Amino acid sequence: MMVDRMQTFTTDQITRIHDASMELLSSVGVAFNEPEALEIFASNGFRVDGKTVFMTDTQVQKALETAPSRFTVTARNPEKSVAVGEDDFVFVPGYGAPFITLPDGSQREATMADYDNFCKLVQTSKTIDMNGFMMVEPGDVSPETAHLDMMFSSIVLCDKPFMGSPVSKQGARDCVEMATILWGGKDKLAATGPVSVSLINSLSPLQFSDEMAGSLIELARANQACVIASLIMAGSSGPVTLAGVLALQNAEILAGITLAQLVNPGAPVIYGSTSSAMDMRTGGLAIGCPELSMVVSATAQMARFYKLPSRSGGGLTDAHCPDGQAAGESALALSTAARNGINFILHSAGILGSYIAMSFEKFLMDEEMCGIVRKLIKPIDFSEEAIDVQMIKTVGIGGQYLTQPKTFKLCRTEFYMTDFFNRQNHAGWKAAGSKRIDQVATERLSQRLAAYEKPPIDPDVETALSSYIAKRKKIS
Amino acid sequence: MTTQDIFNAVLAFDEATVITLTQAELDGGTDIDAILNDGLISAMDEVGERFSSGELFVPEMLMAAQAMKAGLAILKPHLSAGQSQSKGVVIIGTVKGDLHDIGKNLVSMMMEGAGFEVVDLGVDVESEAFVKTAAEKSANVIALSALLTTTMPSMESTVKAVKEAGMATRTIIGGAPVTQAFADQIGADGYSADAPGAVKLVKQLVA
Repeated sequence: MMVDRMQTFTTDQITRIHDASMELLSSVGVAFNEPEALEIFASNGFRVDGKTVFMTDTQVQKALETAPSRFTVTARNPEKSVAVGEDDFVFVPGYGAPFITLPDGSQREATMADYDNFCKLVQTSKTIDMNGFMMVEPGDVSPETAHLDMMFSSIVLCDKPFMGSPVSKQGARDCVEMATILWGGKDKLAATGPVSVSLINSLSPLQFSDEMAGSLIELARANQACVIASLIMAGSSGPVTLAGVLALQNAEILAGITLAQLVNPGAPVIYGSTSSAMDMRTGGLAIGCPELSMVVSATAQMARFYKLPSRSGGGLTDAHCPDGQAAGESALALSTAARNGINFILHSAGILGSYIAMSFEKFLMDEEMCGIVRKLIKPIDFSEEAIDVQMIKTVGIGGQYLTQPKTFKLCRTEFYMTDFFNRQNHAGWKAAGSKRIDQVATERLSQRLAAYEKPPIDPDVETALSSYIAKRKKIS
Repeated sequence: MTTQDIFNAVLAFDEATVITLTQAELDGGTDIDAILNDGLISAMDEVGERFSSGELFVPEMLMAAQAMKAGLAILKPHLSAGQSQSKGVVIIGTVKGDLHDIGKNLVSMMMEGAGFEVVDLGVDVESEAFVKTAAEKSANVIALSALLTTTMPSMESTVKAVKEAGMATRTIIGGAPVTQAFADQIGADGYSADAPGAVKLVKQLVA
């Protein structure tokens, strides 16, 4: 029996959550503040009363049948395409922070230049698999068209798969239009399959805003992947007990997935959650807490029950600078997500202060942790070659392995080599200036940005993308 | 039995006892101002301090506020026009385009607990609705909440609308992405990073 002290749910426990969610969906329903969503539900025979949609177990199960358990997100550089679902997972950067934390712990408003720099860090990252969206919320561009600027940078500065723009129905259409330009037309995009993943959040308890429901409809229609996620603050926008949180978030997530499948049966969706506890002393959201990681594990298990890919947060913390608390909390959530089988690990790098800020230093530290965690869960090779009893016999009692040919052959590849985390002894560390790891990260940052090279892109495509956003900005 | 018992019952989160004691004091002829100020409002001042120091948790503070309001409801029909029913009137809401209300609700409940008359306009509130309600209620303060950076411009337009209407009503703002610098930039009269701070701010503004 596999022993991991994190709780593995029994079928009975999962069924209780499922049944509770179904009771909520059929008796309380979910409010969709988007007329088209209500029309779609009504025309498919769902009971709709005002803005509230009621769902039966049969209706939800039917929708779940068409949702894929794994899908590929194609990158413009085909070598960088990723798979999401089952055994495959991706590390994706932080999302939604309005501020940048500076090395001294102060905050300033994030800018478009910061966004571009995060695109460059993702492009040069060995461990971050996908580019993000809204990695910071730039304060120096118009909020109505910021999504266009961010999408442009995401696509042009980096050739990994990107996250889409779910800011509004029009924002989602812009994402699809820009993807169409990038892939050379609607037919080619359709033949390629999903090229983006967008983040759709419910508004707990039991609501979807017009922006989110509208974006979900547009993106599902275009066969672009969506994370349907719930962010419950336990004790405030949801029950104070975690089992209650699971029942409530499950109802919200299944409602969103059902809408996506009605729009486009087979639309790629991800079962997502970043629910956590409210800090009862301050009323603030706590994301560095153990409850967050417990929900991460639970979300992975519920998603597997429905045979769906899952999403949670990764390097999450409530600390305001990249200190010991930040590193500890982030590593806990990140490793919990990876170990428990989450497939889309958002916020893998950069987040500080309960989502309020991104830090370049924290990004580099988290990035290193992503590499460490990926190695942590890599299975040990049990082949004869790997056990190699013959070599152990040869060395015998009291010998040494440093001069064995195999050690020589594998010394650079067998172990995870830290990128910049310290492995020096005290004298060496002192000689290098006695620097904390966040101070080393500040130095690394300029090297990384200097080493960045813009990935090649067809100049006509880049011009077409520029023209599109220029045209859209004129209208807005 | 004294107003001190009412004070104690609020601090014990005991709504039923607050109701019984307030009614008994009223029936016994105790001065209404004494019941209100020495019993209910001073209890909530104490609750506010205990919350700020970390001794009380949010749900406990809200339970105390509910108990206080239950006592206040008994006194209300007996308050004469001359007796101040509240410390001031606050119009509160989440600005246009934003549907997030956890922080706003927390501030709203704390202000009620501190003895203010609070008119909560809910979420996604137009500038005109703030201005209109503030005029109708002769409000002292309009409190604006936003969680999204994309809806922070709605704060600016609301503050502008209040100024253009030539009202004496002060404006205060708050929410996760909101800062003092932003408050200064849009000409709001105040900013607070948390709910207890917002109550203190309003007390200063109406003083």
